Amino acid sequence: MNRIQEIIAELVETANHPAKAVKASMKETGKKAVGCFPYYTPDEIIYAAGLLPVGLWGGQTDIKLADKYLQSFCCSIMRINVEQGLKGMYDFLSAVIIPAYCDTLKCICDNWHVAVPQTYLIPMVYPQHRKIAAGVAYLIDEYKRVQKELETIAGKKITEKDLEDSIVLYEDYRKTMRQFTAIVSKYSKTLNAKTRHLIIKAAYFMDKRLYTIKIKELMEELKKLPEEKLDGIKVVVTGILAETDALLDAFVQNKIVFVADDLAHESRQFRTSVRSEGTALERLAYRIADHDGCSLLYDEEKKHGQLLIDLVRENHADGVVVCMMKFCNPEEFDYPIYKKELEAAGIPMLYLEIEQKMDSAEQIRTRIQSFAEMVK
Amino acid sequence: MFLGIDIGSSSSKAVIINAQLEILGKAVFNTGAGTQGPEKAVGAALREAGISGDEIKFSVVTGYGRMTYDKADKQITEITCHARGAAHMIPSARTVIDIGGQDAKVIRLDKDGKVENFVMNEKCAAGTGRFLEVMARILDCSIGNLSSLSENASEEIIISNTCTVFAESEVISQLSSGAKRENVAQGAHKSVAKRVAGLGSRIGLAPDVVMTGGVALNKGVVAALEKEIGQKITVVENPQIIGAIGAALYALETASKLS
Repeated sequence: MNRIQEIIAELVETANHPAKAVKASMKETGKKAVGCFPYYTPDEIIYAAGLLPVGLWGGQTDIKLADKYLQSFCCSIMRINVEQGLKGMYDFLSAVIIPAYCDTLKCICDNWHVAVPQTYLIPMVYPQHRKIAAGVAYLIDEYKRVQKELETIAGKKITEKDLEDSIVLYEDYRKTMRQFTAIVSKYSKTLNAKTRHLIIKAAYFMDKRLYTIKIKELMEELKKLPEEKLDGIKVVVTGILAETDALLDAFVQNKIVFVADDLAHESRQFRTSVRSEGTALERLAYRIADHDGCSLLYDEEKKHGQLLIDLVRENHADGVVVCMMKFCNPEEFDYPIYKKELEAAGIPMLYLEIEQKMDSAEQIRTRIQSFAEMVK
Repeated sequence: MFLGIDIGSSSSKAVIINAQLEILGKAVFNTGAGTQGPEKAVGAALREAGISGDEIKFSVVTGYGRMTYDKADKQITEITCHARGAAHMIPSARTVIDIGGQDAKVIRLDKDGKVENFVMNEKCAAGTGRFLEVMARILDCSIGNLSSLSENASEEIIISNTCTVFAESEVISQLSSGAKRENVAQGAHKSVAKRVAGLGSRIGLAPDVVMTGGVALNKGVVAALEKEIGQKITVVENPQIIGAIGAALYALETASKLS
């Protein structure tokens, strides 16, 4: 096994076994871990406290207990998160941060104290009017409150320098990830849709510093190799996340390469940088203010469609794949707006309704293969 | 000779064509994926064509069961094959509505007969042949007689539940309240038509609209669908085998490219 295969295998193993990976990271770094519900949380503050931010984006757990708190028309990520909390799978976390981006998340915030009392909850509300001064000021206040909570958990004071150092690290991570997603089209066989996804996903369960070093090394090693001929179909994928294995396998089988993504789970996490001016918390608040094209953050100018069109054109993509998370209202409300714009731009689109637990992927396989046959 | 096999959820179809695009053999068996249906359909098509399996130069399998059938040279989706088959039979077709045993598809074609866009029903039996099968069972008639039963409808009945299971309860309740079987049959057709029309509205229904798949044999559904979409629908001859014809055409095309 060469070094590239070794790094990829390690990251894939991490992504496929989150609990094991997080516990290993905690042991390796000596840090306590804090769970972060989708979609955006102040990970830099958690890291500055000397804690390990861990992404909680559902999983493959069967839902039995969560029905007590969430209706069947809530998205599978949230139902599985609650299920995992109820089953005690998050007991090793020192706290969870639950931001209220949608109605389901709001309900979970309310229910968590009763449902999962053993895992301390830090609720957060991000401002929808995030670009105006009052919105930014409000978010800074929210960050200050969360910072105090995290200081209690960590048993230490977070200094401005701690925050600045953390921002430097996270900016490096974000820049590295943008470089990584940009080289996918040059190494489309090694970084096929499934491998690409699992490599990006591993970041949620590792210390960001160690993860970023790994990704840099992987890119360095890849660059030593000749570029791989891309003989498949190039797509931009949008949505909350692109899972399950069966879904990703269908993309790989049909030689569909993700040349760029607009997934909340992937590029939306790292495509926007912090501003260079201001205090650490101001810079973090303005990063949310500057982050556009995400259904979870109110955007009166509705830039999502143009963002997708730009991604298609910049990456010479053959089309857009919409991974619509079933029952995700913010994404569903956003869809008709950008659908119209993509159609007007003559960009082929494949709409897939997905859930994290899909026992039968046959129909989705047929749609993906038909799309591949259509755009060939 | 070139073989196209379409393995659906409830039936298996096979078509054999020659290089002149003539259909030499065709067969439909009412058992689908996971049964002996595909073998029986291929065997019957070979017998009708009067040839042996060795004379098949290339074969393409399509349909729900395509992934598990390992005797064909290539597999292509039913969306692509139905589009190809329909465009071959009716070159002016710009929209293909294919309602099969467990799914419904609306396919838009460009002027060259290539797939331009498509939509499929979600993971639900509403608007599919399975819905009609359930309705026929409650009405105590064969699926083949559902259409003729609805011809004698005298009053419009609306089946409000989309879910097949809930619709079944609703229909039982209507029958027990004295609703006529004929009216319920027509209501079932209308329910399928509404569902499929809604599906089609997502990508638009450009004329000529052509219908393929087993449900196209049901005149009641076709009439209800025409009313629902406000357009004439052309039902292809032998609508059940259109996917297999498309597969056979791809078999011929692929073999030509390879030789």
